[in-house]
Amino acid sequence: MKWHIIFAAFAAFLLVTYAEEEEEAARLLVSKQLLNKYLVENMDIVIKYTVYNVGNAAALEVEITDNSFHPDHFTHVSGELNARIDRVPPYTNVSHIVVVRPRKFGYFNFTSAEVLYRHKEDAGSLQFAASSEPGEAIIVSFRDYDKQFSSHVIDWAAFAVMTLPSLAIPFALWYSSKSKYEKLLKTTKKH
Amino acid sequence: MKKFSVFLLFFISTITFTVNRVVNYTCSCNLCVNNYFAFLISVAVYAQEDENIDDIVDIEGEDNSVITDEESEDETATVSSDADTTILFTKPVYNRLSTLELPAGNLVEFLVGFTNKGESDFILESLDASFRYAMDFNFYIQNFSTVTYNKIVKPKHEATLAYSFIPSENLAGRPFGFNINLNYKDANGISFNEAVYNETVQIIELDDGLDGETIFLYVFLAACVILTLVGGQQLLSSLGRKSRSSNTRKTPVEMGTSNPNNVDYDWLPKETLNRINKSPRTPRQSPRQRKFKRTDD
Repeated sequence: MKWHIIFAAFAAFLLVTYAEEEEEAARLLVSKQLLNKYLVENMDIVIKYTVYNVGNAAALEVEITDNSFHPDHFTHVSGELNARIDRVPPYTNVSHIVVVRPRKFGYFNFTSAEVLYRHKEDAGSLQFAASSEPGEAIIVSFRDYDKQFSSHVIDWAAFAVMTLPSLAIPFALWYSSKSKYEKLLKTTKKH
Repeated sequence: MKKFSVFLLFFISTITFTVNRVVNYTCSCNLCVNNYFAFLISVAVYAQEDENIDDIVDIEGEDNSVITDEESEDETATVSSDADTTILFTKPVYNRLSTLELPAGNLVEFLVGFTNKGESDFILESLDASFRYAMDFNFYIQNFSTVTYNKIVKPKHEATLAYSFIPSENLAGRPFGFNINLNYKDANGISFNEAVYNETVQIIELDDGLDGETIFLYVFLAACVILTLVGGQQLLSSLGRKSRSSNTRKTPVEMGTSNPNNVDYDWLPKETLNRINKSPRTPRQSPRQRKFKRTDD
């Protein structure tokens, strides 16, 4: 009987320690999103990285690296492509924004970013995590985009100029006749 | 004779397949051949008609966009012991205490996390989601597209997959079984299929405070109020004028007597009118008016 109790206690202790060991770790989910509706050549693309910690412990030394924007294809506008967050507390999220500008138009496959983090305070090695992939998207050429969405100031100005003759000619005719009659009136008044 | 009949069979069957209505006519034409052909042809026609009916039924089923076909394949969720998955709904935010509520007709986003705890690579192949009948998970109500990722997860690495979908607006207000399946395989090519999420969810209808209908209702009500106010004001003013105007309205009537030619002077400028009034004819007013003027004073 005594042995039974001791054995049960030992088993319970083992279970608790095992369970605690299971729980006491950070677990990161990383999403990478494009916030733009239209991806346009030479215009800003806003990329949002969100790190969700769904684990029980804080994630330490979280480092987001995105090597998918090759300098030949993209100009870096703002935000760090290699960001470091010291600590992500459990059940919280941290977002990070990067703005880039594509140099060329056409299809581009947006691949995942890499995240390195320490999932425990005393973890020996860094945990590697890959973010979600926005996938293949089309980058529209600036000309096509401008055709659709610009305010067409020059077009309207040209239109105004083109409508001028049809307005000016009748006005000139009317004005000449009017001035003629005014002259007549003046001469009659003088008499 | 037999060869001829076979030839005829082919010939007639082609005709029946092209022109459905003329079948009876051709049958009667070939009565001389034998009855056997007529029987065959009628069978062919019946079969064809059956197919048509089936087609119609299928089309109706597609029209409703809610397919309640019972899936015969048994889904055995096979999970690798080296894989660990989690799920997180990022839109809408979900606190895990109550049942998940998804807004109908709005975007739902979730992340699936995958950890490779083993010693060999895993390939995350695809992710699919489906709504099922809450009482019987074998009934599919709405299937969402299977997104192919083909992402390689190295040993001791983690990966996140993003998935988003929009529940149909027709499903609002009812509970459904919601199933998210992750298909992956290991380096040996053994496929696994894990139900990352398999619970009953509630589809809710989001009522945004201001939709077009209510806005126009309020505009209409405001218009009605303004209309009644204007109408009331008109009514009151006209009533007041009637009660007051007994002596003021007489002046123009009396002026009419001094205007024997019935000339309308309204169009004349004020100065001209004054000049006319100052002219010696104006003092000749009717004696009654003078009397009234005195009483006014």
